[in-house]
Amino acid sequence: MARPYGLLRAGFPYLKSLGMRRITNFPVDLALGKEGRIYILNRQEGFVQIRKYTVDDEDQGNFGTVGDGEGELQWPVSIIADSTETLFISDEAHDNISSFNSDGEFLRLFGEQGSAEGQLNRPAGLAFDADENILVVDSKNHRVQKFTKTGKFLSAFGSFGCDDGQFDSPWGITVDELGDIYVADWRNDRVQKFSSNGEFIMMFGKSGSANGEFNRPTDVAVDLDGDIYVCDRGNNRVQQFNAEARYVDKFIGDATLSKTGREYMMTNAAPNRIRDMSVLEPQKRLRQPRSIAIDSEGRLYITDTGSYRIQIYQKEAIHLEPHQFAPPMRSVTLHQE
Amino acid sequence: MSTKAVESNTDPALIAHLYRRAGFGTTRDQIDQLSEQSYEDIVEFLLDPTPETGVPNDDLTRYLGGEAPHAYLAIWLYRMLNSRNQLQEKMALFWHGVFATGLVKNEHILSSSNQIEMFRRNGMSGMREILMDLAKDPAMIFWLDNNENHLGEPNENWGRELLELFSLGVGNYSEIDIKHASRAFTGWTFAQSPPLYPHGYYAADFLFREDDHDNGEKEFMGHKGNLDGGDIIDIIVEQPACAAFICRHLYNFFVADEPQVPSWNDLDPLDPELIDAMSKAFIDSDGEVKSTLRVMFNSDSFKNARSKKVKSPIEMVAGVLMLTGEHTDFKPGLAKYPQSTTFTMGQILLDPPTVEGWHTGKEWIDGGNLTERINFAVEEFSDGLSPGIKAIIDRIVASGSLETPELFVDSALDVLGPIAVEDSTREALIQFAANTEGEEERSRSIRMLRLIVSTPDFQYA
Repeated sequence: MARPYGLLRAGFPYLKSLGMRRITNFPVDLALGKEGRIYILNRQEGFVQIRKYTVDDEDQGNFGTVGDGEGELQWPVSIIADSTETLFISDEAHDNISSFNSDGEFLRLFGEQGSAEGQLNRPAGLAFDADENILVVDSKNHRVQKFTKTGKFLSAFGSFGCDDGQFDSPWGITVDELGDIYVADWRNDRVQKFSSNGEFIMMFGKSGSANGEFNRPTDVAVDLDGDIYVCDRGNNRVQQFNAEARYVDKFIGDATLSKTGREYMMTNAAPNRIRDMSVLEPQKRLRQPRSIAIDSEGRLYITDTGSYRIQIYQKEAIHLEPHQFAPPMRSVTLHQE
Repeated sequence: MSTKAVESNTDPALIAHLYRRAGFGTTRDQIDQLSEQSYEDIVEFLLDPTPETGVPNDDLTRYLGGEAPHAYLAIWLYRMLNSRNQLQEKMALFWHGVFATGLVKNEHILSSSNQIEMFRRNGMSGMREILMDLAKDPAMIFWLDNNENHLGEPNENWGRELLELFSLGVGNYSEIDIKHASRAFTGWTFAQSPPLYPHGYYAADFLFREDDHDNGEKEFMGHKGNLDGGDIIDIIVEQPACAAFICRHLYNFFVADEPQVPSWNDLDPLDPELIDAMSKAFIDSDGEVKSTLRVMFNSDSFKNARSKKVKSPIEMVAGVLMLTGEHTDFKPGLAKYPQSTTFTMGQILLDPPTVEGWHTGKEWIDGGNLTERINFAVEEFSDGLSPGIKAIIDRIVASGSLETPELFVDSALDVLGPIAVEDSTREALIQFAANTEGEEERSRSIRMLRLIVSTPDFQYA
């Protein structure tokens, strides 16, 4: 599917929130399955849970055990689902990647601590390439490694530093529909784009809080129009860029109560009174969002980690043909037509 | 104040002493690096924390976190172990003990944690700033019921403890002062934060409610007028009793165990000369804690007050973990120490037993607690592969000291601190060394280390 010639950005309204305390405590990542299924990875000190959920805010069970044995997790970071909904989860305490079927049964793991090829040091973000090989952000080795789904090492790129193609403790990663790779270069406060072979293409962003600047970006996603979304965790927002990395918009959180949240509040008098005594505005905002995902229907999912929920926005954009979209202009203009 | 001669400024034992008191300990390798500086320069470094020498917040929030109190405490313990701003963390613990605020009452971990962050930020600043921040701190306001201190219906809990436990001490104010101070703090409350459900804790923020504040005339320690809370704090900090009280607290925490606070009005300080010197620095600097600490740490009394102060449970735990080196980088398992280890030793951080804080000194130790402390230390020293223990044993072996029992013991005591032990302890250790001559040197060394950390001497800082 080719990218559009032009785009009429009609809007990007807030759609809904999912989850609440006790159901989605500290969601750190999510994987999108089929038929609206969402696998939400929750992590906090001494607690790990993968909750099988739906976009309709329905709980379909959970799995996940804290521990150091096979099939157990300590510090999971990222979760991805392949075409069969086999789930792969990185663990930065175990320095490995575990896989589970969609019912939560452990399948296998690969990876071990180290810096040699195929070894890992605090693996973080995960993404599939077009062949469903797994790209692993090998964060403390400051590189990206590619493995088959059974854990066979294929290739790697990146090293420590702040030059083009170098990383400092990178975190999230995504692959667009053209096969290009985007990495949230966490401590360098930027995003880098690479070809499918790991060749540097471009970078954007710098430290700060202005539009287009980042404070420790944790994740990146790209939609089918080529728009790039960056989870700007330290600034409590998600920023949107076009395919050329020009800043477009930002999302700071517009949450309403989720379905489960409303059900809870309807049967609890004290929180209702306390909520009525407090200011609502901060309760809408993102708090330390950790990851983002966008589906083929233009729904942007933000793990609003600090507020125990997922906020969803709906992209409304119309593809434009050349006769609807003037050719690129060399300079800015004050002419209005 | 003692005038006993002290050793060279770069004496490793003196640096170890400073870091056990002004921080949570250090390693022998770090002491070697520090010993290139003068003692006074090291004190200045500790007195001047910077973000660059602390633990980066982004790292902490990347790897650690959670809603439970032990998750917050794991972050604090990580700072204790890894921040070079050791005194900054120690001052946060100091003020936590003086301005004891219990999570058991507020059940709002974010507010309790924010209070510690406040102490981290202002702990060495001026006493006026510290008390003003405290008076506006939601955790303290709720702990001492100032949110119930209303115009026409004063609640005197905060006003009383501000004077009795936080600034002046019994005998230095009147009941009338309490009543008028309490009226001056009416309307000092906090804005309602959102409920825990459905989206977790939100920070509470100070709120001054003019409509709930008593603007009538008050009389406090000889001052008359429409005094508000800020005026009360200004008057408190000007009192010589405030300087003496805070300095005695600092002395009790950093230098030597004083009797418990309620008896301070009846018993003279252990070292009145040092308290006077510290009080002078406090007054001359308009109540600056940093200036007061500088005088204290550079005094001969402090330098000579070695190995006589009972470690609090968190000092015991952090000191041992610093030696074992198991948590120099982020890894699971840190939360168990403040969650259960210090608990079994009698200390739950963020939950002091009363508004008086923890009783210190030998009250830390009873039969059960001592067993827990020894078992903990021995257990942590059971793994010769721990990076810190491996480094310690490497130093012992490399020193060639295993040749004679005496050298072996002295070498082990040196690399564990250096720490000083009683002659009887040293004799017992030498006996062990003699009995194990010829055994494999690394396993023999680790047994020696375990024996040392189980001695009564190791209970002291």
